[in-house]
Amino acid sequence: MSRGVVGSSVNRVGGVPRVLGTQVYVADVKLPNMLHAKLVHLDCAHARIRSIDCGEALEVEGVRAVLTAEDLPKPIPRFGPAYRDRPLLAVETTNFHGEPVAIVAAESEHAAQVAASRVKVDYDELPAICTVAQALDPSTGLVQDPSIRSDGPFRHTNILDEWKFGWGDVGGCRAHAVVENTYTFPIVTQFAIEPFAFLAEPTAEGITVYSAVQIPYGLQRSLAAVLDLPLSRVRIIAPDPGGAFGGKQHPKLEPILAYFALRLGRPLRLELTLEESFQEVRRAAAEVRVRSGFDSDGTLVFQDIESNYLIGAYADIAARVVSKASYVAAGPYRVPNVRILARALLSHTPPSTAFRGFGAPQENWAVESQLDEAAGRLGLDRVEIRRKNLPKRGEVFMPQDPPADGDWAECLDRAAQAVGWGDPLPEGRGRGIAMGLKAGPTTAASYTIIRLHLDGSATIYCGTSDMGQGARTVFSQIAAQELGVPLENVVMVMGDTAVVPFDLQTSASRSTVVMGNAVQAACRDIRRQLADLAAECYEVDEEIRVDPGVVHLPAGDRTFVEVLQDRFGRVKGEVIGVGSARSEYVPDHPLGGPPAFYEVVAIAAEVEVDRETGVTEVLKLIVAGDVGRAINPQAVAMQDEGAAVQGLGHSLMEQYILDSAGRIRNLGALDYRIPTTQDAPRELRSIHVENADGPGPYGAKGVAEGGILSTAPAIGSAVAQAVGVRIRDLPLTPERIWTELNRKTTP
Amino acid sequence: MSMQRIRISITVNAERHQLEVDPYETLLELLRDRLDLTGTKKCCGEGECGACTVIMNGRAVNSCIILAAEADGSEVLTIEGLSEGGRPNQLQQAFLDAGAVQCGFCTPGMIMAAHYLLRNNPHPTDEEIREGLSGNLCRCTGYGRIVAAVQAAAAAEATAASKAGLESTPEAPK
Amino acid sequence: MKSFEYLRPHNLAEALEIMERYGAGARPLLGGTDLTVRIQKGQADPAAVVDLKGVGEIGESIDARGDTVTVGGRVVLSDLVRSDLMQTHYPALVEAASIVGSIQIRNRATLVGNICNASPAADTVPPLIAYAAEVTVAGLDEKGAPIRSRVPLEDFFLGPGETRCAPTELVLGVQLPLPSRPFGCAFGRLTRRRGVDLATINMACSIDAAGITTFAFGAVGPTVVAARDESGELAQPDLPESRREELLRSLVEKTSPISDVRSGEQYRRAMLLTIARRVLRQAFERRQYQSGGQTQGSKHYRGGFGE
Repeated sequence: MSRGVVGSSVNRVGGVPRVLGTQVYVADVKLPNMLHAKLVHLDCAHARIRSIDCGEALEVEGVRAVLTAEDLPKPIPRFGPAYRDRPLLAVETTNFHGEPVAIVAAESEHAAQVAASRVKVDYDELPAICTVAQALDPSTGLVQDPSIRSDGPFRHTNILDEWKFGWGDVGGCRAHAVVENTYTFPIVTQFAIEPFAFLAEPTAEGITVYSAVQIPYGLQRSLAAVLDLPLSRVRIIAPDPGGAFGGKQHPKLEPILAYFALRLGRPLRLELTLEESFQEVRRAAAEVRVRSGFDSDGTLVFQDIESNYLIGAYADIAARVVSKASYVAAGPYRVPNVRILARALLSHTPPSTAFRGFGAPQENWAVESQLDEAAGRLGLDRVEIRRKNLPKRGEVFMPQDPPADGDWAECLDRAAQAVGWGDPLPEGRGRGIAMGLKAGPTTAASYTIIRLHLDGSATIYCGTSDMGQGARTVFSQIAAQELGVPLENVVMVMGDTAVVPFDLQTSASRSTVVMGNAVQAACRDIRRQLADLAAECYEVDEEIRVDPGVVHLPAGDRTFVEVLQDRFGRVKGEVIGVGSARSEYVPDHPLGGPPAFYEVVAIAAEVEVDRETGVTEVLKLIVAGDVGRAINPQAVAMQDEGAAVQGLGHSLMEQYILDSAGRIRNLGALDYRIPTTQDAPRELRSIHVENADGPGPYGAKGVAEGGILSTAPAIGSAVAQAVGVRIRDLPLTPERIWTELNRKTTP
Repeated sequence: MSMQRIRISITVNAERHQLEVDPYETLLELLRDRLDLTGTKKCCGEGECGACTVIMNGRAVNSCIILAAEADGSEVLTIEGLSEGGRPNQLQQAFLDAGAVQCGFCTPGMIMAAHYLLRNNPHPTDEEIREGLSGNLCRCTGYGRIVAAVQAAAAAEATAASKAGLESTPEAPK
Repeated sequence: MKSFEYLRPHNLAEALEIMERYGAGARPLLGGTDLTVRIQKGQADPAAVVDLKGVGEIGESIDARGDTVTVGGRVVLSDLVRSDLMQTHYPALVEAASIVGSIQIRNRATLVGNICNASPAADTVPPLIAYAAEVTVAGLDEKGAPIRSRVPLEDFFLGPGETRCAPTELVLGVQLPLPSRPFGCAFGRLTRRRGVDLATINMACSIDAAGITTFAFGAVGPTVVAARDESGELAQPDLPESRREELLRSLVEKTSPISDVRSGEQYRRAMLLTIARRVLRQAFERRQYQSGGQTQGSKHYRGGFGE
């Protein structure tokens, strides 16, 4: 019977059902009288729909109905977390490969599949805009009609929005050495092992939608708006996602499914194939042009960064991705002059959405690779050039924002040491190191309710989504520590908007900090109430101190259970603690508020490259994160390791391959390659820099995205050392490495 | 649509079932939809990811590309069949203790593949573990702790076997 | 997936009768790792799927008789990999078979299935050709009587997905001659990642007792391309490097690599030579080793990256 002590690596809460196979994911939910849905989409990116004939489809046995845009209200309802631009179904045109034009409902999945294949869509394929150059070219046409765009200078362009940040005077400063390069980052997809699945159930109250959504309350708001229902009648049940990585944050097919279910009056289930899941979510691609100025000793003088992000046909949360990532694009460094220009460019591709790192991996790839090149030119060691420019804790490095909140040089040094920086390298091997920076959450609103039961056990209600990062475990540990309750007696209730209080979202590595603070506050609320109850019950005038599990009375200590029994007696009762953590919107801050913390890592890699074939093996991958305090060290390491290998994926093998018409040619597990057991580094390590300097409980900071922030520049730098050629485009496939190596030697 | 129904007899987790299946129905669908054994997962649907791994007639296979009809007369072991009285067995516990479980979606398939590996190779090297699990994709863990979990389970099994005074012998595949 | 009639014949005569009746509308099923996937993706839409796993005449074992080894049609790749007989006499085939998919795939996929799927990138085909394999094809003659014929694998493929096995015929098994010693054969391939993958290119090289070098190149043409050096030069230990390069180039020129979703043409062309050098050297070394009167078998060699 172990107590869940903060700082100990207790086993995952919720781990047992996962190993037994009893964990319920969305696709495992079955309801009586359930219908099955299937989407109809076209095998092209951009098309004008002439007509849709559902006659044959409706004749399939078991089919109940087929919906197209024609059957929906006009103008067609649109949704989206920031811009409500995405129609429930494609109307007049399709704008990305996979955009649904119709949806079938049938008694069986097989019938739905057959019927979907018999829906006849007459369409004209149109040219697709799928590169940065095409999106910027005024002659190529518009992805979004101006009628659905907001007022502003970009309404008649494919620029969703543009941001300018910076300080100092880039134009007027002088530097000893100037380096200028453009770096590219491909379209990659989250590829959670759980494909998307949704279930919409009309109820007496209104509607219940099952979705493994990271932001249940966001989905609730979206559906309430689309369905014209009050929030109280829209219930979201969000089972733990089978992996999400940001891709399950925002509404996708829930709106059309909920609408359809209400019309049918029966529960309606939609399970996407893996290919369809790839067509729903992905990371923004980016072209980042960086001009950097240095003094002769490697001190940064200026950073001039222009980033063009290729987002999808609908905005989803892309604007936020671009603004937030580009805002801190200059990296965790002291840079006196910074000019940042960033654009989000619409294209005929699936909507880009949140993906671990939220735009920062793209910036870090460019800026960190650039630092390496500068180091080379100036004859400096790549660790040295970074150490020289890192701010100390407490030092302001972005004029309008909180100072550096950690000892980032410690991350750098420990990563360098762990990878054996400076040790002799055998032929064909290389090492690389890179810092990574991401801004934490800027606004927050997390609420929790904790019930302390008569026997001293506790139930915690909170709206955080546990998608594998271990939120359940961390909150249980905090509560166990704060209340003095054994960990195994703490039960978490999550994922149901009818039951748990409001949580703004699970994103930006915030939950340990924000919801953790709320949990801590709720526990302290319970302790305060116990003090009041004890004062009342034992008639004590002076202030009563309550520690975890024990109430200190003048006559002696009492346990919580004893106090509850004494006070409530045979009439019984419980103590309900409420806690919240909020961070308000700051209108004149470019991001709507300063970040609660900075997520900073140093990542080091060692690779071996076969020059003849370009085949690369990553031998070592080290993540040293500035974590503040590891509530559960194993859980932090688990996140770092997973994030690092996910980053290895986009570094070496992952990319969407589009044809000239915008069709994704490598949908699915066969041709979209992610790392397997054989691709993962044999030495994979997570180092925790813990200085208790974070805003979360016990000094914690957020950690879940760190490992993916700068894996690419670390690996890229290692490859560059191994083969003597620097490559600026990802992924570094064997073919790309070989091509670059041979480009050098052929005239 | 076909009206063909195929009668099969299949033993799943030591329980015999007589069922009528559709020709296009997969073993995965039979397990999840007919028998409500939803522990085995669907991901890629084409035998590339291993999330649907079960043991059929002593071999680890991808159930998503086996027709239910093909499983007539077969013995199938799923993740639900591994636990002992609803509690994790040694291998399952090793996954928990090693921190090898995050979102858990790949876990059933991964554990079944590991179970098969250890049955055939009770003392695998790390490389042999990686090879044996190379057909199971995980997006959360980076695999290091999964390898460690399998090693720990192998060691625990060896300890238990030697304590019992027996040599553990691999089962020959049927 | 779309529906079809599922049939499970009890013997070869029944199976052939079904194939004849459905014409091209019946597809044979063994492991299902290709056919079932294609049906699910809508790439195949057969009227009938004929499960051959109950047909006794399609062997389920590996047997040596005289100077021929027969791999029955129902033998799955994982059993082939484990077979001492195969490891001893056909190490390059074992290497290739051991990297087809994952263990889950190899526990279902058959050697015959890998052949009949006729992907130009099939990993087992190059070593089979290098080992001079033949397949036994069963069909019915005009009178409806069963006949069997043997087709050298080198002549078996007509194009991607197309073989000399007619839609109404069935392949029963694979015959491999026991190579006269000294003999050396090696397999190599390139993939996009170190883990389970389809080949960007693959190939096998054998050098036989007479000093004839046979290459079989995969994923660089509509079918696997066989190319031979009958001069015996490539088998010579003291051949000057420039001459070896010249000879290899002439063999590789018989291929026609393309750019596709897996790789670009230029890279494939360059890698053909790079990997060819490696497998030639390994085949040579294995043959040398055999000259010493021993065999160098292969125990679960991963065989990737032209090592």
